[in-house]
Amino acid sequence: MTALTDRGRRIRVLVTLVAALLLVVGTLWGTDDDFPFGPFRMYSTAPDPNGDAKDTRVEGVDISGRTVGITEANSGIRRAEIEGQQAAYVSDPSRLSQVADAYAEHTPGATPLRSVRIVVRWHGVKHSRPTGTWTDQVIAEWTKP
Amino acid sequence: MDQAVNRVARWLTEPVPKGRIAAFRTLIYLFVAADLVIFTPWVRAHANTPGSLYEPLLVGRILPLPTPTPLIVHSVFWALLLLTSAAATGRAPRALGWAVFLLYFEWMIIAMSYGKVDHDRVGLLVALAVLPTAGRARHGDPERTEAGGWALRVTQIAVICTYFLAAWAKLRFGGPHWVTSSVLAQAIIRRGTDLADLVAAVPGLLIVAQFGIMTFELLSPLIFVVPQRWRSAVVAFFYSFHVATFATITISFAPHLAALTGFLPLEKLRPVEWVRRRLGRAPTATLVAASGSGAASGSGTGSSAGASSGAGAGSAL
Repeated sequence: MTALTDRGRRIRVLVTLVAALLLVVGTLWGTDDDFPFGPFRMYSTAPDPNGDAKDTRVEGVDISGRTVGITEANSGIRRAEIEGQQAAYVSDPSRLSQVADAYAEHTPGATPLRSVRIVVRWHGVKHSRPTGTWTDQVIAEWTKP
Repeated sequence: MDQAVNRVARWLTEPVPKGRIAAFRTLIYLFVAADLVIFTPWVRAHANTPGSLYEPLLVGRILPLPTPTPLIVHSVFWALLLLTSAAATGRAPRALGWAVFLLYFEWMIIAMSYGKVDHDRVGLLVALAVLPTAGRARHGDPERTEAGGWALRVTQIAVICTYFLAAWAKLRFGGPHWVTSSVLAQAIIRRGTDLADLVAAVPGLLIVAQFGIMTFELLSPLIFVVPQRWRSAVVAFFYSFHVATFATITISFAPHLAALTGFLPLEKLRPVEWVRRRLGRAPTATLVAASGSGAASGSGTGSSAGASSGAGAGSAL
């Protein structure tokens, strides 16, 4: 058997304890910013069993008047990334011009966008089940000056 | 007290066959290559994302790492692809292993500094951080290694933390009523499949699923105390949970699934040997000729706990 030296074993035990401690502290008091020691907070919220469910999308209108969905494939920006920075887009909608830039960069030859907006579709939920009804709300919009 | 510490230390460094380390190493480094091109190709798209959208994570601000540019993103991508492919062969495990870990860590910071942090890869990051310390290992080698044992053990702990601490996070952010909330209904609305729509139509089923998820996450550490013969069944249950998750809300947790293999007797998987045997060729002792490893290969599985010697110090830190 290939055995460890006492020193090698001690260092490993210490490293294990420090990393575990950081992970526990991150879980109890940390945020995503503390990656990789932040909390494992995927699907950790407890939305109201009778509250509307939020479904965000980004769409643009090109200069020919056509509406196009802005996706990870055509802009390189993930929907969750838009949602993660949503407050910044809402307080400064001109920031959406950068989404238009990213779209132009990732989709060469596409008709240029005239405007970009973030739309939230609120789906009805009753007794923790979707009702199949919805309404749309534009929360941020930028139009090329 | 000393006895308890020693027991924990022995458990953390419980020796495993070097063949298992070799197989895990190959699998993990091949996964990194697959992750780059198949599972998370969107990271590369950040080469053309406007720099003003970059909001570096704490670690990116402390170090501090540069704002990604096309040159940085493409350089890291190609260097990582090249080095992880080389590391998968088992050669130069320390040098290549550290290089892959550092580059992948930077890759993750590039991935997660634009407003969204994923929680599916702590197990993989731990595996990448500890594999360079596991020493040389040849495929099929039954000799046991404590350094390799620690590498697998801490990967296993990270994998279980991903479940157990996720339950804690649910209690922290959602509270006890998480189990009766509409969290799964919301997930299905946002990214549900046709199968998920069928599930959502059954009254109460999503609530039952939420109770089930919380229970299984809180109980997940029991995998370390169940008898060895049941462990693979528990791992199979974990995988089945992710199959169900993927089938309903298309979330794969692929990096976590790769790290989860750290629980399995991977040394039994010898695809190259199997192909050679099918082709009628004589089996060889090793898949990878790790030059200069000095590893004994004929000692059998009997050389386990208790048969220690000082000769293995070369693979210590």
